[in-house]
Amino acid sequence: MHNSKAHLWFIAPAIILMIIILIFPLFLAGGISFTDYNLGNKTFEWVGLENYDKMFNRKTYVKMIWATATYVIVVVPISVVLGLCAAMLLNSLRFGADIYKTIFFLPVMATLLAMAIAWEFTLHPTLGIVNSFLANGCGGAREFIFGFHWLPWVDSEQSWYAVACANNMDFPYWLKQKNTAIWTVCFIGIWQAFGFNMVLYLAGLTGIPRELYQAAEMDGAKSTWEQFKLVTWPMLGPTTLFVVTITTIRTFQVFDTIEILTKGGPSKTTYVMMYAIFEKAIQQNLTSIGAAITVVFIGFILILTFFQRYIIERRVHY
Amino acid sequence: MEAKQYIGEGWKHAILIIGAIVVMLPFYMMVSMSLKSQQEIQSISGGLIGAQETQTFPVCVKTGYSEETCTMKPYQYNYWFAFEKAPIPRYLMNGVIVTLSIFIIQVLVALPCAYALAKLRFYGREFVFSMVLFCLLIPVHGIALPLYVMLAQAGLVDTYSALILPWTISVFGIFLMRQFFMTVPDELIDAARMDGMGEYAIVWKVMLPTAIPALLAFAIFSVVAHWNDYFWPRMVITGNRDLFTPPLGIREFRGGIDSDEFGPMMASIVTVTVPLIVAFIIAQKRFIEGITLTGMK
Repeated sequence: MHNSKAHLWFIAPAIILMIIILIFPLFLAGGISFTDYNLGNKTFEWVGLENYDKMFNRKTYVKMIWATATYVIVVVPISVVLGLCAAMLLNSLRFGADIYKTIFFLPVMATLLAMAIAWEFTLHPTLGIVNSFLANGCGGAREFIFGFHWLPWVDSEQSWYAVACANNMDFPYWLKQKNTAIWTVCFIGIWQAFGFNMVLYLAGLTGIPRELYQAAEMDGAKSTWEQFKLVTWPMLGPTTLFVVTITTIRTFQVFDTIEILTKGGPSKTTYVMMYAIFEKAIQQNLTSIGAAITVVFIGFILILTFFQRYIIERRVHY
Repeated sequence: MEAKQYIGEGWKHAILIIGAIVVMLPFYMMVSMSLKSQQEIQSISGGLIGAQETQTFPVCVKTGYSEETCTMKPYQYNYWFAFEKAPIPRYLMNGVIVTLSIFIIQVLVALPCAYALAKLRFYGREFVFSMVLFCLLIPVHGIALPLYVMLAQAGLVDTYSALILPWTISVFGIFLMRQFFMTVPDELIDAARMDGMGEYAIVWKVMLPTAIPALLAFAIFSVVAHWNDYFWPRMVITGNRDLFTPPLGIREFRGGIDSDEFGPMMASIVTVTVPLIVAFIIAQKRFIEGITLTGMK
């Protein structure tokens, strides 16, 4: 032990910055959310819960909660399951796994904004390759597959694909249509996120000892599915918990694709929280309502993280 | 290997190849559009690279260049005109300035703090560490609005400071470095002290070199996140083109989606996106390690 005061100089910058940049803003957001303050105003009044009242009762903000919830509930499970499937497939390959891994990880790396624009053109009704691919497939195998004609309850005359073909190639304007925009944005979100989850799962899979599979086989779990249920899935418990939490937090923060592609529209179907904060507080200078959304947003994330910690402490499966 | 296994392997590849095609679609579209002429883009013809016929480009002539200058192959034109229209090198420079400044300050702040938390005993250490753990929970994008209000009050909107300041503290960096320093044997530090080294010298001359692998991973994590970040620059940079980071530049290129030519626009987007992707493909392992760092516990 020594008596130098060096540690003060070592921790002081970090502490000061933590307080100013991370902790104080929490209180500032909380404070502003109870006022009618707008940036540039000299004075403000306390308005109590008015901003929150607006948030939960005005149509716009109800739609905001819906859009955010839809996005998170769709993107998180699908990207986690896809990530797990991809990881297990790659893990069982004899050759070529590295190439797929690189390709699936590319979306995680690439500037999301650029890729959003690339998707916009890919899905463009007249310039995009997706709709031209669909239009060229009318009456053929593509119609059968993507029109779901192989499902017994789908009438091959009435499927969305057949109807579009019959109506002069009226395929969806993916990002511009009320009933498809949110799903299209979700799709891009999944496309971007699943590679990240795949890599985490690959790491998790290497941590499972081979002997466990042999033991399971001796116990009679012969099929891949039984072994998955008995060994892989439980052993991946901690990884899954982590993957789900981190994906949820990242998904909550979706902004880039919304801002560049839909601006929250059409008719607020993609009006997610981060975009709402940006639009209200920055573009319309309604700082106080933006602060209220911020508080709810942070609340969601904190609850989520505490929930994760709670589960970790309660049981980590094995 | 039995026939059955071959079939199984084949199926897996079939599924993965379909997945890979879907994943690659926008990349294909992006590169293809940046090479083809406007007519080929609009008629969705020409495959990946188009016919590459030398031609005179009307938009270029209208902009005021001579007809001779405007006659070339589509791919040349797209990339040349992209650089004529927007200060792309400037955007890339800004990206480098911002991401590097952020990383350097993060290390300057985090490394000594991590060292103190891991290796020095002092009153309040546990408290500081629990503060770090608490701050780990705060999503910085989530508190963007109050940060913006603070920066606006300080008159810092539309400056480099606004782009850099909020990211100078990386609690994640502190946490990561602390965990790493815990594994460094005390003897190493004691020996350094015996040699008469001060605590500062120990941090930068003894601890820093041992932490290079962890720092490298953290560097990739930090640089990728901030190079690609769009939300924060969009908040604090309102119109000053000189401060545009690459994603803001991309947004500007897209501006005239209805009227403009798509080729040069996509060429600029490819130019801005490519450096990171190339770096990724070269140093894949390190990148995956760095970006999934958050996966470490």
